[in-house]
Amino acid sequence: MGNKRSQYLMFWVVAAVIFLFFFLKYVSPVVFQVLMGKGHPMPTPSTLMMWYMIMGILAGLVYATTSNQKFVDFLGFLLPGQGTFLKFFLQKIFFIAFPLVVGWFVYSYSLPGAASPVELRIQHPTLPQKYEKMENPFREKDADIQRKCIEEGKVLFQTYCRPCHGSKADGNGPFANSFRLRPINFQDPGTIATVVDNYLFWRIKEGGPGLPSESTPWDSAMPAWDGDLEDEQMWKIIMGEYDTAGVMPRQREKAE
Amino acid sequence: MNNYKLFLKFIKQKSIFVMLLVIALSAVLSLSLQKGVLLTAVHAEEAGVELPAFEEGAASGEQQQTAEGTSAAGAEGEAKAEEEEEGELEPVQYRAFFGLDSRVIVWIVSELHLMFAAFVLGVPIFAVIVEIVGFKGGDIKYDKMAKEFTKLLSAAFATTASLGGLLAFSLFGLYPEFMGHMTNVFAPTMYVYALMFFGEAFTLYGYYYSWDILKGTSAKKWFHISLGVLLNLFGTGLMFLTNSWATYMMGPSGVSMKTGRLLSLSEAFYNELWMPVNIHRLIANVCFGGFIVGAYAAVKFLGAKTKEEKAHYDWMGYVGNFIGIGALIPLPFAGYWLGREIYSASPVMGNIMMGGAFSWTFIIQAILIGMLFIGANYYLWLGMGRIKGSERYTGYIKYLNVIIFMCFAVWLTPHNLPLSGEERAMIGEQYHPFSKYFGVMAAKNAVVNLIILSTFFSFLIYRRSNKGTMVAFSEQGKVGKIGVLSGLGFCLMMLVSYAISLNFVELDAQIKGYVTPLIFALYIQSLVVCLAVFLTFKNKGKLGQFILFGVTTCIAVLYFWYYGFQVMQKANLVLRYLSVTQVSIVMSCLIMNAVIDIFMFRKAKVVGEITWGKMPVRSQYALLLLCIVIVILMGLMGFIRSGLRMDWHVYGLLQDTSQWAYTPTLSFMGRVVGLIVALFLGLVAFVFWLANLGDKKVKTEAE
Repeated sequence: MGNKRSQYLMFWVVAAVIFLFFFLKYVSPVVFQVLMGKGHPMPTPSTLMMWYMIMGILAGLVYATTSNQKFVDFLGFLLPGQGTFLKFFLQKIFFIAFPLVVGWFVYSYSLPGAASPVELRIQHPTLPQKYEKMENPFREKDADIQRKCIEEGKVLFQTYCRPCHGSKADGNGPFANSFRLRPINFQDPGTIATVVDNYLFWRIKEGGPGLPSESTPWDSAMPAWDGDLEDEQMWKIIMGEYDTAGVMPRQREKAE
Repeated sequence: MNNYKLFLKFIKQKSIFVMLLVIALSAVLSLSLQKGVLLTAVHAEEAGVELPAFEEGAASGEQQQTAEGTSAAGAEGEAKAEEEEEGELEPVQYRAFFGLDSRVIVWIVSELHLMFAAFVLGVPIFAVIVEIVGFKGGDIKYDKMAKEFTKLLSAAFATTASLGGLLAFSLFGLYPEFMGHMTNVFAPTMYVYALMFFGEAFTLYGYYYSWDILKGTSAKKWFHISLGVLLNLFGTGLMFLTNSWATYMMGPSGVSMKTGRLLSLSEAFYNELWMPVNIHRLIANVCFGGFIVGAYAAVKFLGAKTKEEKAHYDWMGYVGNFIGIGALIPLPFAGYWLGREIYSASPVMGNIMMGGAFSWTFIIQAILIGMLFIGANYYLWLGMGRIKGSERYTGYIKYLNVIIFMCFAVWLTPHNLPLSGEERAMIGEQYHPFSKYFGVMAAKNAVVNLIILSTFFSFLIYRRSNKGTMVAFSEQGKVGKIGVLSGLGFCLMMLVSYAISLNFVELDAQIKGYVTPLIFALYIQSLVVCLAVFLTFKNKGKLGQFILFGVTTCIAVLYFWYYGFQVMQKANLVLRYLSVTQVSIVMSCLIMNAVIDIFMFRKAKVVGEITWGKMPVRSQYALLLLCIVIVILMGLMGFIRSGLRMDWHVYGLLQDTSQWAYTPTLSFMGRVVGLIVALFLGLVAFVFWLANLGDKKVKTEAE
């Protein structure tokens, strides 16, 4: 048997797992609310909660079995008649609490209730082949013309896109709250900054109805602007949109 | 006996093998020297190469082909008369095998072939290295182990060849039009491939069967090692050849994209993705081979009856794991390079890969890679239990464990989380902060580098476990000083040369400023590497190592995590340079710390021996898990690489119009990959059992 501290290895592992649960469930939503200046907490999604908890439990078990002595110490916590009163006390709490926790999980998961299904989203549905080779005709123009296009695009963006995407392209337009899935915050570096100009062109031109079958279930309220806007207007909107959001489009790279 | 006499004696004894080898080599050489065979550009007009009839190619072609493949121009009259009598024989586009899904058949056969090929190509690389180590160090157990590796190799080789034949027949039988196109483009390289296969077979069997004959003297041994090197050259050459066919299908070049007409064989061969795939597969094969050998040793360990057997297979398992994890460390860098080149070849294919239909397969990949790193570290930590003196370092394990699992958590966090409608409403925007900050490439790159640094740290404490009081570095003599200075020179060359080259990258003025912090980071790292060496010379090597680890983590993990976001937002073209900078800084830390550690502990007092064989049984199951995970990973990555073409045989050129051209669902993919993994592991177990039948007979006779 190991030293006095090691007798409590199982206790520490269980305590760490419980701490992780409380952190993800109750602390991180408030922390993110403060850090991101939101008016509401940002709850940890259930899928992520499950993954992180699995990680936590696995980390505890891996650590507890990294040597034979540790493994013996870990399981030794459950053995009767050894150690102090504190250990005896914690042991009994563990024996009572463990079945209760398991029972609570079983009860809460089997309780009848109504919830919408969890959807597996695809971030960037496949761009149709005909759009792949397209180039924004205004990107190759000289600086003055480009600046003019950007300004025209910004006006067009404020006219046609602002109601949903917001005046700063941050997804906070006046209509944004009316959608089940809010419009994307284009200032986020993981959104339009990761795709090429022509990807946006496709999304504007064909909108939600033009998405390919593999991206279902997909709920995009984006209308198809083909017919309402000229192609040149769409290219200018794209330039204005990037400028408004303060990000750059992904640029084509030369292979090395 | 001098070398010349030995050589003559060998030729006399093994004259048939030598003759066949010479014939094969001569044939390869003579063919490769002819114009248009190997890498010489072939002009379609001169060579008359033309696609099989598909749309524009057929319409524009001057030399229409009949179903029999002969030129129609000369025999027009006769052919017409025959056709009128017998009816025209339509060219076949697709066939089916008893109504089964042709794509799944090819998928399973090619993946099985690739897995066996990976083993057959990966194992000789480290078998030869182990043989050299044993020969130079004079330790017979290395030689014994290298021979055991090769025994597995020779058993697996025939299966690889059989599967290769089956794959070729499946492809030509089920996809005749597509293979017609591939043959039109790559026919000359196919002959070279077949001839090189002879070379591979002869050198492999020569290497294995001459093991005991070529023993005893230095010259004999070097000749044997040379055979091993030759075997590796043939194997690598074979792989490079086939890689060009596979990568051409992803990013075709050297052909007319309108007609499919071959313009330049050399361009089609040396396409954009060829070299990244070559490097990635070369390293992955070593990693794959290492973990398979580790699992083989684990099975033998679990069934071992004597202490000696247990000790041998414990050691073999350790070496297998060491090789596997050693190759796994640079693999993410090679994979990242390949990924970037896929983006360069086609931004759409890149988006399909990372953000589109295949993005979820990369989450599965992240889980598998995380399991590999955790499994390998776990095995190392358990291994410290068999080393006296390791108690001094086991305290670090809990911190390493926490770091690795936290990195793993970030590594597998997707940018797009599966959310229910209620959760979406509660979060109130598209991305939860966890996915927003952990789900993008900047975060992934940062944590994978931290996992690599942590794994390396585990290795360091493992190798220090039984080392006691060190001899002061200043008293180590010239060898230590030369060694450390050589390491320093290499690291400085890598860091400074890249920093200088960054000054000359061609970028727009508005984004070029984003390169400056990278240059500074490289110079800071160079200074820190110098400082670590300086401290080592002042007998404070441990402090030097500590500073080097600390600064590397601050720059390559923390700072580049933050800076990666900035670059993604404002100058994504700089991401390429940021990644290389990150890799260079981490590599310099690994190399310099390893060199310092080797020479610092060179003459250290040994406080306890390693008790080989004294390992808990669960450590062997960890080795088995590593093997299963790497096989699943290879199956998954094979699917991704090939599947990225979506419904194209040759991306953007030759469309797959068969009924099986759809992209499979994750569930279907999972079942097929699972089947492949089960088949491969079953076949490997069977083949290894066959390989050991001879040993059992010898043992029984001895008893």
